[in-house]
Amino acid sequence: MKRITYITAILVAGVAISVASCDSKREPGKVYMPDMAYSRAYESYAAHDSALFTMDPNDKGAKIFYNSMPAAGTIKRGELFPFPLAKDTNNYKIAGTVKNPFDSLSKADLTEAGRLFNINCAICHGEKATGNGPLGTSGKIGAIANLTLDQYVNMPDGQMFYSITYGKNDMGSYASQLTRAQRWSIIKYVRTLQPKKEAAAATPATGTASPAKTDSATAKKG
Amino acid sequence: MLILCQHRVLLLHVYKEIFHISPDNCMSRYRKIINKLFTSFLVVSLLSINIHAFAQDGEALFKANCANCHKPDVDYTGPALKGAQSREPDAEWIYKWVASPSAMIGNGDKHAKDLFAKFGPTMMNGFPNLKKAEIDAIMKYVEDYVPVKKDDTGTAGGAAPESDNSLLFGILTLVLALVGFILLQVNSNLRKLSDEKEGVQRGEPVPFYRNKTYLMVGVLVLFALGGYATINAAIGLGRMKNYQPVQPIYYSHKVHAGTNQISCLYCHGGAQDSKQASIPSVNVCMNCHMAIKEYKGDPIVREDGTQVNGTAEIQKLYSYAGWNPATKTYNPDNNHDGIPDGAHPIEWIKIHNLPDHVYFNHSQHIKVGQQQCQTCHGNIQEMGEVYQFAELSMGWCINCHRETKVNFYNEADSTGNKFYSIYEKFHKDIRNHKMDSVTVEHIGGTECQKCHY
Repeated sequence: MKRITYITAILVAGVAISVASCDSKREPGKVYMPDMAYSRAYESYAAHDSALFTMDPNDKGAKIFYNSMPAAGTIKRGELFPFPLAKDTNNYKIAGTVKNPFDSLSKADLTEAGRLFNINCAICHGEKATGNGPLGTSGKIGAIANLTLDQYVNMPDGQMFYSITYGKNDMGSYASQLTRAQRWSIIKYVRTLQPKKEAAAATPATGTASPAKTDSATAKKG
Repeated sequence: MLILCQHRVLLLHVYKEIFHISPDNCMSRYRKIINKLFTSFLVVSLLSINIHAFAQDGEALFKANCANCHKPDVDYTGPALKGAQSREPDAEWIYKWVASPSAMIGNGDKHAKDLFAKFGPTMMNGFPNLKKAEIDAIMKYVEDYVPVKKDDTGTAGGAAPESDNSLLFGILTLVLALVGFILLQVNSNLRKLSDEKEGVQRGEPVPFYRNKTYLMVGVLVLFALGGYATINAAIGLGRMKNYQPVQPIYYSHKVHAGTNQISCLYCHGGAQDSKQASIPSVNVCMNCHMAIKEYKGDPIVREDGTQVNGTAEIQKLYSYAGWNPATKTYNPDNNHDGIPDGAHPIEWIKIHNLPDHVYFNHSQHIKVGQQQCQTCHGNIQEMGEVYQFAELSMGWCINCHRETKVNFYNEADSTGNKFYSIYEKFHKDIRNHKMDSVTVEHIGGTECQKCHY
């Protein structure tokens, strides 16, 4: 009889402890079959064994060098060819010579570009591109460009693309968030928000820097 | 609920049977009194349980079904539900509306059309599975809802009345159980007295802790409770609902997605294009935090009451990014590894973990299924620290697949997803009015190999 009492007491205590220990919200908890729950393959964001892998190119050879970056020069399927200009102070001036690969967008593409604009740009520039997005009106970020002003109406697409790709002033680069095609189409969408361009200012200075143009042309051929 | 009620009726019958076996007994007067007392105790205790369960039901149902789009007291994606009953044309209206809002609008109901005009273009999902009693419970909860008042410390005291009530009911039940027990003892003592008077000889009564009936009932109760606890714990193993790890930076979704209205897809753009929702790299943070150097908003308070220094958390971000806020430049890259010296990735702790044997794809749900992030992640724009909102159990997945309608291609006005034009049988059935909508389950959303392969 006594033994049964002890056994019951231990069982009850065991259940109580296991139930109580499951309750901690800071711990991930336990799983039934770890080899089925945790991936053997390297999943995205999984930590790599630092004894085997290294992100430091100087340790190449001793360990496996792996920094999750695509090999230099590779282009994602369906992606446009790279922007021919690197980031430097002079290239901003000649960026206007790079042509937008899209002449006009279909209605669906324009809607999609508008959606991307509202997600990525409108937070500062505002849905109407007048520079009064939520972060601007609440005073958290100052000096937000009002894209409906004349200087932006007259700014060539290539120069806008340069700013989106490499950042400008307080604005960061959106190259990691938007593909090149998306960036070009967003510029087309911004044009629909801007007042009509005056005919006189419509022609950007194309003659100044032909190398950029040929670069992109050859890239397209290749 | 139904089961409880049935039990109550059954129990009453049983007790009546027991106590009315010998009506000619000389003790029948006492018996009757005790009988009545016991019955009333039973009714009161069971009713009290019922009332409590009803009150909880409304809240739980509201949170499970409505809270994504409705708030009780203010307009949200949908209208505030408080006072909805008084706005409606008739009492039956709400049942029809909840079952199928699109059908109501299709039928040209004026009130329904007005609602859609005001809160469109998002159409409310139909909930044909909600019973009338459940809808009533929800409406009762909403009508009785009192908004939580914010106090200066930021800690909400809204849960207090609810827990007070349950404590009260618990104590009441205990007291009544004690009274019932004492009455039973009195009953047996009285019987003993009457037996002595009549000269009937009975053996020495067994004390209650040796009484086999009591012991049996005790063992059964323990077995039921122990079984319930064990099964619950076993089901919970491997599920991490409410998991809320401490992250390397106190990143408040409430500030970013709530106050500042940044779209979820700004940082988690991968959700529309890939399997992963993608954790933003530090440069995405820096898009805004190059300009935003300090936190000036409302005080951020942790659940334990301590205050978060937002500016210090932004400084942590700068050290991860290798950014010098004084000169507004990144640190030089002297070791030529392509990143500024001192910059290192933020090791966020993953909260929503699915086992390896389940396949889940974000883009499938966000892009094709047009689901809101909040459907699975809860009201993320109100979370200071993110926790796992949904169970992420298989039953939870399957349930949603059964209830969610796909954006089926409509042949009549060529709206909807054209991919679904290949489902000829369903198109035929819709034309013949055999079915009115196609759920994920219909197109194979509950097949095993859809997620397990």
